[in-house]
Amino acid sequence: MRALRAWLLRLGASLSGRVQPGEVADELDSHLAFHIDDNVRAGMTPAEARRTALLKLGGFVQTVESIREQRGLPLLDTLRQDLVYAVRVLRRNPGFTATAVITFALGIGANSAIFSIVNAILLRPLPLAEPSQLVMIFATEARRSLQFDGVSYPAFIDWQEQNRSFASMAAFANRDLPLGTGDEVVAARGKVVSANIFDVVGVQPAIGRAFGDWRPGSSDVVILSDGFWKRYFGGSPSAIGQTVRIDERPHTIVGVMPPRFTLDGDSEDFFQPLGVENMNRGRGFLRTVGRLRRGVALEQARDDMSAIARRLERLYPGTHNGVGANLVPMAGAVARRVRMGLLTIMSVVGVVLLIACANVASLMLARGATRQQELALRAALGAGRLRLVRQLLTESAVIAAAGGALGLLVAHWTASALAAAVADQFRVPGIESVRTDGMVLLFTICVSAAAGLGFGVAPAFACLSKDPNDRLREASRSATGRRAPRARRGLVIAETALALALLVGGGTLIRTFLTLRATPPGFNSASLIKADLSLPLPSFRQLDTRVGFYHAALQRVRALPGVRAAAFVSILPLNNRNNTESFHIVGKPDPSPDRGFSAVFNMASAGYFRMMGIPIRGGREFEEHDAAGAPDVAVINEAAARAFWPGESPLGRQIVLPINNEASQILTVVGVVGDVRQASLGIPPRPEIAVSPMQSHLPGSSVTIVAQTKGAPKALAESLRAAVHSANSLVPISRIATVDDVVSSSIVEPRLYATLLGAFALLALVLACVGLYGLIAYSVSQRRHEFGVRVALGAAQSTIMRLVVGEGLHLAAAGVGIGLVLALAASRLLVGLVVGVEPQDPVTFAAVTLVLVAATLLATCIPARRAARVDAMVALRTD
Amino acid sequence: MADKADVWQGTLALMALKTLETLGPLHGYGIARRIEQTSAYHLALNYGTLYPALLKLEQEGYVTSEWGVSDNNRKAKFYRLTRAGRKQLDKEAREWERTTAILARFLTPGEEAP
Repeated sequence: MRALRAWLLRLGASLSGRVQPGEVADELDSHLAFHIDDNVRAGMTPAEARRTALLKLGGFVQTVESIREQRGLPLLDTLRQDLVYAVRVLRRNPGFTATAVITFALGIGANSAIFSIVNAILLRPLPLAEPSQLVMIFATEARRSLQFDGVSYPAFIDWQEQNRSFASMAAFANRDLPLGTGDEVVAARGKVVSANIFDVVGVQPAIGRAFGDWRPGSSDVVILSDGFWKRYFGGSPSAIGQTVRIDERPHTIVGVMPPRFTLDGDSEDFFQPLGVENMNRGRGFLRTVGRLRRGVALEQARDDMSAIARRLERLYPGTHNGVGANLVPMAGAVARRVRMGLLTIMSVVGVVLLIACANVASLMLARGATRQQELALRAALGAGRLRLVRQLLTESAVIAAAGGALGLLVAHWTASALAAAVADQFRVPGIESVRTDGMVLLFTICVSAAAGLGFGVAPAFACLSKDPNDRLREASRSATGRRAPRARRGLVIAETALALALLVGGGTLIRTFLTLRATPPGFNSASLIKADLSLPLPSFRQLDTRVGFYHAALQRVRALPGVRAAAFVSILPLNNRNNTESFHIVGKPDPSPDRGFSAVFNMASAGYFRMMGIPIRGGREFEEHDAAGAPDVAVINEAAARAFWPGESPLGRQIVLPINNEASQILTVVGVVGDVRQASLGIPPRPEIAVSPMQSHLPGSSVTIVAQTKGAPKALAESLRAAVHSANSLVPISRIATVDDVVSSSIVEPRLYATLLGAFALLALVLACVGLYGLIAYSVSQRRHEFGVRVALGAAQSTIMRLVVGEGLHLAAAGVGIGLVLALAASRLLVGLVVGVEPQDPVTFAAVTLVLVAATLLATCIPARRAARVDAMVALRTD
Repeated sequence: MADKADVWQGTLALMALKTLETLGPLHGYGIARRIEQTSAYHLALNYGTLYPALLKLEQEGYVTSEWGVSDNNRKAKFYRLTRAGRKQLDKEAREWERTTAILARFLTPGEEAP
């Protein structure tokens, strides 16, 4: 207790910083006066009396010092002193300080900004109970190299019943369906889920109840999301028990989920219990989530699930051949799409920070060199080596702290701006919660501290490595012909190498994006507008009903002023739709006994290909007379012609398309059209077969109506909606957009990565150039005398310039060499980040190297010109 | 000097406390002289070391100090024992006695352990 009290008093004295030398001196003065009196009384002369008294005291100053040490906490006192001194020194060198702090703020800011996004998306726990126990289980298929495939309903039941690793397991699938409340029908995002799914993820409805022991065949029930409930029921608890129409069938609302609940990051509107679904083992459409048993590790669960997969392979070789199970922690699975991108960008900004640190370290070294005299003087006056190191480290700590604080501000602004920009284009869970929270603060503090120490320690020791005597002598002598020290040259080379590697990365992505943008999509997107519709299946199950609606809608849309043409299609290019079917070819054996041929099956009404500007390569496209009752026809793309009828004409050939277990449809190929990029601009066209919607028995509720306009297509959005609505008010319209926008939003992701990586690479380049500039400028200032001598001996200005620029290029060349090797190794990492990346593209490498060399030339030219203008007389006289 | 014993911190504080108990409020110089006298000049006391020790005692709350005027009309800082200081003195004195007793038994010749 007493010790604590004393310590607190000393702490207080240190912190308040009030030193009362007056009082201490008064007490010692009074002490000396007593002693001198006594000594004089004992017969000494006053001078002798005073000397003896001081001797006995052990020195006046020393005693004051030992009292001061007892008064406060010496460690804290020196820290205070160091801080005050550091701030004073830094304020006296505003140029150096500003450069260091800004460099540092940029590095730290970039890191904190990206970290706050990583934190929101990848690190913050999912709003589920014990999310670490939750595992997503996907099917894998070796043959098609699928890692995240869905599982069929019967296979899911097998997984659920046979596994020993999971306490519970549930499945779900997307089911976007028209949802009617009152008079209104909207296109809603829904999920069918196992009845037990809320127990598995450990989140119960906020009001009402979960599905409980719902069984297939029980009454139709639905659970709404908080958002949907608030939008359509005003957040009223009386919604429980009311009915909504899903796909025209009345469903009773039994519960509402808590706010922000989402299963896998889709913002769902409703959840429906999963009934007995398609029993076809070949149709994997379910995603599976399981909660691990206590004490079961992910690896054990993996072994367990692979054993089940192998068993199923033996039992059902036709459909389960090569099908495995892929277990991913739920937290990772949710952000799977953005995980790699985020981690790539995180490492990129890490490298930027390294460059920033190297820069500041180089600055510190340079300053250390000019401070040799000051440091030597302090050492000579008795400051210990460690004391001086501590002083220099305090200075870097102050810079780091200032840079970190400024960086946090930078991060705070850029992160929210970036998140807002990205949130428009990506549906990533958590992106809306990007903010500067405690974690970000902690991260910034840690990074600043690490960087501060990292770039401070080495220069601090380097500055003090020499004997103080030498330093004093050396500092007073002119430094002649001395080039920048090896450490600084090494730092600049490293910076240049890292910057080059980043530039190659950024350049590769930019080139990929440009290539994507320049890729001909195979159709003409201008003057087109589209609306995605979802047909309520019960009333649209009959072909007649569908055809009737198609005709009515087309008629009304075509009648709109400003519309030139209109057509229905099921898979509009780049519109994120896909439908693969298996079929047989008349007169050709199936490729394998269990599976037929497979192709993308599209649906296009008369005039679609002409309107889209897709060329007809042979035969004809769909025409109005291809209606029900007329012969069933198909139009294929060139890829399909090459794949299925190589070397022969596909026209007039027939294919068999199974509709369900009993019936199939025979279609005659009547035309071949040009290939279009369906899935992505970066993915080459796949074989594709189109049928006419007027003849199509393919089930499917998603269709798109496309209209060609005379003027700006955007202006037609509302009248398009009204026209479709007037044809049938029960068909909800989800997304209306111009086809130009569809195309450009398909390359939003590559553009984002190219922009981000490009921007950070540019930042790295600027930092590296600043570093090089600083080094060369320093070197020029050190060699003034030498240049003066050279000029005096008749050297031309151009010779001097060549000398300086040569030194810069020398460093840059070394950096480029190392950087190219780095980039060769690292650019492979970009494959898989964006579709269509070509790593080790020589054009990118060459262009980036040129940019870097040009930038370094610029950075050395300024000091070189200064060197060339050295006046021989002035330079020689000043030394 | 060689035959004079050095004073180490802990015992110096104990001596200062004892001095204040015996003589009442006293200034630093007085305490120093008293310690030397009491030790019959066997202790080589560097007067300067007394002041940090007194400050430490004050921080621990065993003494208080205030400025006053001495008998011969000199301004001086007087130290006064607090109640906690008195208790601490008793405690430390007892401990010291015990320690010296044990040591004495070890060092006294002729008394072998049984």
